[in-house]
Amino acid sequence: MKIPLTENNSDKKTSGQPDSLWSAVGDQTNPSRWDGVQWPSFVKYLGNRGIAVHEGRSDSSVFISDAGGLAHGLPHGVVRPFSSEAVSEVLKAAQAYAVPVTTRGGGLTTEGESIAFGGLLLDMSSMNRVLEIDPAGMTVRTEAGIYWHQLAETLRRDGLDYLSAPLNLTSSVGGTLGVGGIDINSPRLGCSADQCLALKVVTPTGEILECSERENADLMERVLLGYGQFGVITEATLKIRTFSPIVMKYFYYSSLRTAIEDLQLIAREDAADYSGILTIMDRAINLLVAFDTGEREREFHLRWRKQLRGHGEANFGLRAAGYYFPRPWKFQEASYLLGRRLTLFPEFTRPEYMHNNTIIDRTVVFSRAVWKFWGGSKMVIPDLAASQEKFIEAVERGNEVCRKYFRHYTLYCVGIKLSNRRERYEMSCIPPDARDIAFGCEFEPMLRDTNYSRDYLQSFKNEIYDIGVDMGLSYYRFGGMMKGYIRKVFGDVLVDKHLAMKRKADPAMILNRDVIF
Amino acid sequence: MTRKKKERKGYESCSGCGVCLLSCPVWYRTKTMSFTRKARAKAIQGGATYEEIAFSIDSCLLCGACGTACPEGIGLADLNIHQRQELNRLRTESPPWYPGETREPPDSGRNPKAKSLLLAGELLGENKDVCATVIGLLGGADRTALALDDGRDIARFMEAGLPLGPERAERFIASLRPVCTLIVAEGLLHRPLRKWLPAKKILGLGESLLSSGPLRSHLGPEDLYIIESRGYHADHERLVLFYDRLRRETGCQTNLDLQRTAFSTGASSLQGRKDMAAAGCIENAKYILKGRRVKRVVVEDLADAEAFRLATDVPVVHLGLIGSKTREL
Repeated sequence: MKIPLTENNSDKKTSGQPDSLWSAVGDQTNPSRWDGVQWPSFVKYLGNRGIAVHEGRSDSSVFISDAGGLAHGLPHGVVRPFSSEAVSEVLKAAQAYAVPVTTRGGGLTTEGESIAFGGLLLDMSSMNRVLEIDPAGMTVRTEAGIYWHQLAETLRRDGLDYLSAPLNLTSSVGGTLGVGGIDINSPRLGCSADQCLALKVVTPTGEILECSERENADLMERVLLGYGQFGVITEATLKIRTFSPIVMKYFYYSSLRTAIEDLQLIAREDAADYSGILTIMDRAINLLVAFDTGEREREFHLRWRKQLRGHGEANFGLRAAGYYFPRPWKFQEASYLLGRRLTLFPEFTRPEYMHNNTIIDRTVVFSRAVWKFWGGSKMVIPDLAASQEKFIEAVERGNEVCRKYFRHYTLYCVGIKLSNRRERYEMSCIPPDARDIAFGCEFEPMLRDTNYSRDYLQSFKNEIYDIGVDMGLSYYRFGGMMKGYIRKVFGDVLVDKHLAMKRKADPAMILNRDVIF
Repeated sequence: MTRKKKERKGYESCSGCGVCLLSCPVWYRTKTMSFTRKARAKAIQGGATYEEIAFSIDSCLLCGACGTACPEGIGLADLNIHQRQELNRLRTESPPWYPGETREPPDSGRNPKAKSLLLAGELLGENKDVCATVIGLLGGADRTALALDDGRDIARFMEAGLPLGPERAERFIASLRPVCTLIVAEGLLHRPLRKWLPAKKILGLGESLLSSGPLRSHLGPEDLYIIESRGYHADHERLVLFYDRLRRETGCQTNLDLQRTAFSTGASSLQGRKDMAAAGCIENAKYILKGRRVKRVVVEDLADAEAFRLATDVPVVHLGLIGSKTREL
């Protein structure tokens, strides 16, 4: 086979182009669409090897955007692989023909990371089989395109469950492991990537490799939290546990600082199995804690409850009434809080998901509520990840930015226990100065009924991310349209190190090229 | 910034969250995004024509799970039928599983007088033995009469998105007006019947048979109970609690997934009735059975009985026959 020579233009440093790490902070770094000169030869080559490339509008249009809904792009074609071998064939050919390949699981990115701006889109959701459940070793081997919800459906039939995963039904295992994966039990168990025991990875040059702590450990460390730069995860072995419904308790605060201090106390002292903060602006701050067993709940009440400064709902309601009653000019805000309370809270206690006051399917409950009350055709969720010491200031500063830009918004704060695997945390959402535990906060404006301009939303995101630069923090969502911040926040030395590794692993820079580099 | 007008919840409201596809039997089987409700919405938002996504519109088994799952509250069940109607206007050739010419049932006079009327539908209506047992369990012919016109042709035409003469619908509705309660085996008719006859009590076969104690006592933890999905999703808010109670009280397993949508075999769909294997009904039944330890499958819908019989060696029995050991299907 004669492979045509193609120019690798991935080293261009022009603002707005792929590999535009040098683009000015504040720019939206939407890549230009790949021109596709070599596309027909590439498709023909794959066709001869039995791999179908779907080029119709009906095949590609479902991938036109991601959960953020702000970036739009179409691939030249879509491949739905059913094996690691097929992924390998695709990547080998992509290297030879210099065709960009974008991998996509659930497409829940918000900065366009899972959108193909031309080139090939690998729809990994076709690889969704659960391969082996080992109840004795408490592990599961699964194809990585599976959504966590599908995995839960299968595990539940054996009374089992995964350990931690994003509170979103359509997050894929592979996509989650590539960025970290935060759950409300992450203060106790760490991120989803830290639950992973082994992987099968197809490298950007098409090698299929097994990796674990003992085998190809370097690659494992690169791929976990690697934002899809160093390989496509096709299979994963994950820790699992016995399924248990959870008991959820809510404490209400009117001060962000106090609530965060209590959240940090809970995380530090391992006082609850699950914890997090969910707010309605900075007026109603809800610290939620939950427990897998009655024993843990009893221990919490005995040892820690008295130290928390949050109120029960009735008490908080009275205090809120006391605050708003003499301030009639804040009637609209009070009305919003009340409306939110009346519509949102029943979602968390829907009878079909409850049994004896326990939540049976927490991911279903939370994910449905997230989409129902926070979802929409557009979502911006800038975030800040900080060490314990810097977290409160980061959230308070981010909250001021939210107040400046939006009438209604939500903050979601959670802790992330860190493992000893420091290598995988390098240039990731885990801030470099965090020890033992890190904390993250998402700043999510309620966009539902209002059309904000893209520039307005970008300005908002920039102001949040500037806090990160100023304070030396990190972000969960630093790729895609926000990648202009990568050098600012991580520094040239670290970024150049990773860029060199990327170039070595992916000579034609084809794999997820617009995400980080 | 500008305020947006409140829009009708149609495909344009789809944010693409993908929650709908988690309950979609077509997606589980094909693993292909373009067959899903989400893909159809996104394709149309992106300017695709109905003809371009005809394969996807035709693949839908109309189980209704996506509509129940949708957090945006988009009326997906009606939208799926609407898209089929639009597609029919554009194309000249129909899929092989479409119903043939209209064969309206002859006007056979007035329904017998009774408190309830059983609309047995095609399969139950043709299985005289099971039908008679069901009527017996529903209090006998004095209490529950068998409808002379059960609207089976209406259901078929609605499912295919084909136009129905106004006289036909009117005649059907008029025949149902005298009774208080309609027990409707064909799930696809639940939604329109509620619209046409809002004052009537519309029940599925499962709910009506299980509302009294005796049949419940025959269900246990080793039974897999298959809820008829179309009727269930048409009245999900209420029925989810009914079946949740059933599961807790009897310990039986069900085809409800973690979102509490009923995973369907698709056997009662037009595609399934034409060719159960090609429509994926047997594979869907196998998926429902996967990893479960069951000694019996109990179905509300006779179409499901066939799919499970082909998928497993475990005995399959209609709900109406669970009291009788010798009457496996």
